[in-house]
Amino acid sequence: MIKITNLEKFYRTEEVETIALNKLSMEVNTGEFVAIMGPSGCGKSTLLNILGMLDDPDAGSYVFNGTEIAHFNERKRADLRKHNIGFVFQSFNLIDELTVFENVELPLIYTGVSSADRVKRVEEVLDKMQIMHRRNHYPQQLSGGQQQRVAIARAVVNKPKLILADEPTGNLDSSNGNEVMELLTDLNEQGTTIIMVTHSEHDARYSHRIIRLLDGQTVMENIMV
Amino acid sequence: MIKNYLKTAWRNILGNKFYASINVAGLTVGLVVGLFMLLWVQDELSYDRFNTKADKIYKIGIVGGTGISKQIFNNIIAPVATYAKAEIPDVQDAVRVMNIGSAPFRYKDKVFYEDNFAFTDPSYFSVFDFNLIDGDKRHPFADNNSVVITKEIAAKYFGKEDPIGKVVTLGQDEQLKVTGVIPDYPANSSLKYRILLPLSRFNDLAYIKNKKTYDNKTFISTMDADWSMFGFQTFLLLKPNATMSVAALEKRLQAIHERNKPEDAPVPYLSQPLPQMHLYQADGTDGGMSTVRTFGIVAIMILVIACINYVNLSTARSMLRAKEVSMRKIIGAGKFQLFLQFMAETTMLFVIAAVFAFALMFVLLPYYNQFSGKQITLSLSNYNMWLCIGVTLLGTLTASSIYPALLLSSFEPLKALKGKVTIGIGNAAFRRILVVLQFAVSVVLIIGTLIIGKQLKFIREKNLGYDKENVIGFTMRGDMVSKYDVIKNELAKNPSVVSVTRAGRDLVTGGNSTGDNDWDGKPANSNMWFNQIYADKDILSFFKMKLADGAGFTGAVADSAHFLINETAVKEMGLKNPIGARLRVQTVNGTIIGVVKDFHFNTMHRKIEPAVFQYKPNDCWKLYIKTTGRGAQSAIASAEQVWKQYNGDIPFNYVFLDDSFKKLYSDDRRTGSLFNIFSGIAIIISCLGLFGLATYSAQVKTREIGIRKVLGASVARIIGLLATEFMVLIVIAIVIAVPIGWYAMNAWLQDFAYKVSVTWTVFVLAGCGATLIALATISIQSVKAALANPVRSLKNGE
Repeated sequence: MIKITNLEKFYRTEEVETIALNKLSMEVNTGEFVAIMGPSGCGKSTLLNILGMLDDPDAGSYVFNGTEIAHFNERKRADLRKHNIGFVFQSFNLIDELTVFENVELPLIYTGVSSADRVKRVEEVLDKMQIMHRRNHYPQQLSGGQQQRVAIARAVVNKPKLILADEPTGNLDSSNGNEVMELLTDLNEQGTTIIMVTHSEHDARYSHRIIRLLDGQTVMENIMV
Repeated sequence: MIKNYLKTAWRNILGNKFYASINVAGLTVGLVVGLFMLLWVQDELSYDRFNTKADKIYKIGIVGGTGISKQIFNNIIAPVATYAKAEIPDVQDAVRVMNIGSAPFRYKDKVFYEDNFAFTDPSYFSVFDFNLIDGDKRHPFADNNSVVITKEIAAKYFGKEDPIGKVVTLGQDEQLKVTGVIPDYPANSSLKYRILLPLSRFNDLAYIKNKKTYDNKTFISTMDADWSMFGFQTFLLLKPNATMSVAALEKRLQAIHERNKPEDAPVPYLSQPLPQMHLYQADGTDGGMSTVRTFGIVAIMILVIACINYVNLSTARSMLRAKEVSMRKIIGAGKFQLFLQFMAETTMLFVIAAVFAFALMFVLLPYYNQFSGKQITLSLSNYNMWLCIGVTLLGTLTASSIYPALLLSSFEPLKALKGKVTIGIGNAAFRRILVVLQFAVSVVLIIGTLIIGKQLKFIREKNLGYDKENVIGFTMRGDMVSKYDVIKNELAKNPSVVSVTRAGRDLVTGGNSTGDNDWDGKPANSNMWFNQIYADKDILSFFKMKLADGAGFTGAVADSAHFLINETAVKEMGLKNPIGARLRVQTVNGTIIGVVKDFHFNTMHRKIEPAVFQYKPNDCWKLYIKTTGRGAQSAIASAEQVWKQYNGDIPFNYVFLDDSFKKLYSDDRRTGSLFNIFSGIAIIISCLGLFGLATYSAQVKTREIGIRKVLGASVARIIGLLATEFMVLIVIAIVIAVPIGWYAMNAWLQDFAYKVSVTWTVFVLAGCGATLIALATISIQSVKAALANPVRSLKNGE
């Protein structure tokens, strides 16, 4: 599904140039659950952003489902992104002014799904995430765990092929964290590819494979059994 | 999709009630004031355009006098219209109107004093859109005893009865039969004569029955042979296919005049398109247009300030919405979709503001009309008004929505999510420019207010050269003039009456002029005109006017060949020794016996012109009573009693000279009051904008302030840090505003012949005022930011 080769990304200020990704290569197959780990500043968020098409690389190749997209402009990337990728963030990033239902509905609106279909699909996914009873609440009325479940519902409502999770349990206590990891595992088992950035060895154990980064390079890969 | 936009917009407004209120308040106030002013401008510009032939109708005037006595005459002689129609092929028709002013009309037991009473040609009803709605359209006047009235007058006199054929009495015994009714005039008509008599009646009375003469020798057979009486407003209607230029028309008219009365040459003619009559003088110079233009500009400025205010507040707050925008982008929102979303938000806020604005306008309309002297109604049928409102709303909406929408929809999601909000230097600089602009406008308005106030005070307090305090005046009627001495004695019995005199004209507002004069040593090229003041012997003492030289009238028979002239006349005539010099004014040959110190017998907009006093007690129709002030009511009662003895039930009308004087400057005072309001509002809205920017700045700098505080900065220093940033902007605004204000106000003062000088204190005052107001506004946010707990701000700033 994903193949990156010699990917490079620099951050420049007037005097300093920081290498975030240093000729990084990796591959992720469809249906895999991959965890990316490493110390702060190793480049894992940068990698996730590039994989999520929120950012573009300075050099190297990024092939997504057989298409080279490293040179895509923002518009093309956005289009590809909205049909293929769902995001889950540490801080949930729900829109405060919208209800649970409306937050989950939003991606469907932007991809032009009809109103009747939207209701059906949102209800379906809320049911699956066991948050249906909270559909008319606003994010600030929910617990952290519930908010993250809504965020995951929003990430999957468009049936993306790939979910990118950036420390999805980072703001949760352990029991809520475990629930979220179970949800992701379920999704993965139903065929969604998942790439997750995490600091937590515990969370990483849910994955099939751990890629460890240091200074923008892969230093180790662990295959989980 | 739209539903979602509106839903989000509405919740955003509810969720940020404070900011939404500031935004709505700013826009509402801006819209109310802007719209009111633009409606005023539109109304002023619409004058007389309702006449379908407006672009082919020209008002004719002439230029009289040279040098300081140069004047424009809006009333010309009667024959020009007749000759023009006969001799100039492009002229289709002509209308003359002779304004009589006020006269009493009687129907059964009702008596009314009518102000807008005139003699006119029958063409009045076909050249203008004043067609008869009742009566014979082809012959509005059946004969010389006919009268045409407006619907309003018909209702006033006859109620629901059919007005046609009814007989009303003019004055004591002139019987007039109503032969036509015209609709009431639109509020934006310059011509508003409500009672119209045939001009042929005037001809009959003045020339045929009364044998008009200027020298007691030659009798003038008809008004079309009278080349001396300047009493007719004259309009020419050109043919639809007329090709004649305005200049050519004026030349032809001049030629007609000079051919028939060579001694008047040169007498340049002026022709003015009807729609210009309201805002321009006959010679094309300003007659109110500059005020209209100023108001138009100020209206747009206020709307711009309101827009800037909105833009500033919404972009300042945009950083708080960065997360939302980014999230929407990440989950698939396109830039255009986001753009539409923010447009929808602005539109919604705008609709709320517009609804408030309309409600407010509706409530304020009666006060506005009273204040502005307009009769504007928010009726659905007024197409032009709604067009004006529509364009204003759309323009304001566009101006305030596009930039914030573009800015918000262009956030880079990644950076915004990380908290690195991308409101860069460029954007902040843009916002600063807007604030500078706002304040520059406000400062210009403050400067305007101060200078207008100063000038009005100057007019109020300037020594006029005569005493108008506690003087009432009225026009005598019928036998009163011949019984003047009896009346004077009668009035003098009342201890509240200090003194009584009479004159031929109102000293405050002006009157007749003549260019028909001659004196020893008059230069061949001089065409000097005199303002004529017919007076009784005691006029100087009554009005406390001073003699610069010679003596006043004594009331001796010889005084009828004596003249008093003012200092300006002496200067203009070039007289070294005026006393005893020979002077002829019209048919009177005599000598100058005194020089009166200059006094302001016109508005301060005009220089003091040459004036001549003539002892003509029998032509003095104005009676003046000086009262003790406290006893004014008693003096008025005495005057009314006397009036009744001579005029029966005809109502008694009088004016205080102070009031006529105030009326002279009513436009100026209105401009002054409006400027007070405008600058106040501009400042309020600008402060809202500044408040927004200060809020934004405090938010952006929360972290910086936290760090500084941790490092030991005092609250005062932090306030200083925040305030300095804005004070720089205010200073720049002042620097920009001062020359503009200076230029604009000098231009305004140009319109006054007597004016205050524009001193630097005005600018210092305006600058300090703006600075203090701005400082107060900024302090609210700065103090709040400076007092915030650094631990919290550092945590949030992460």
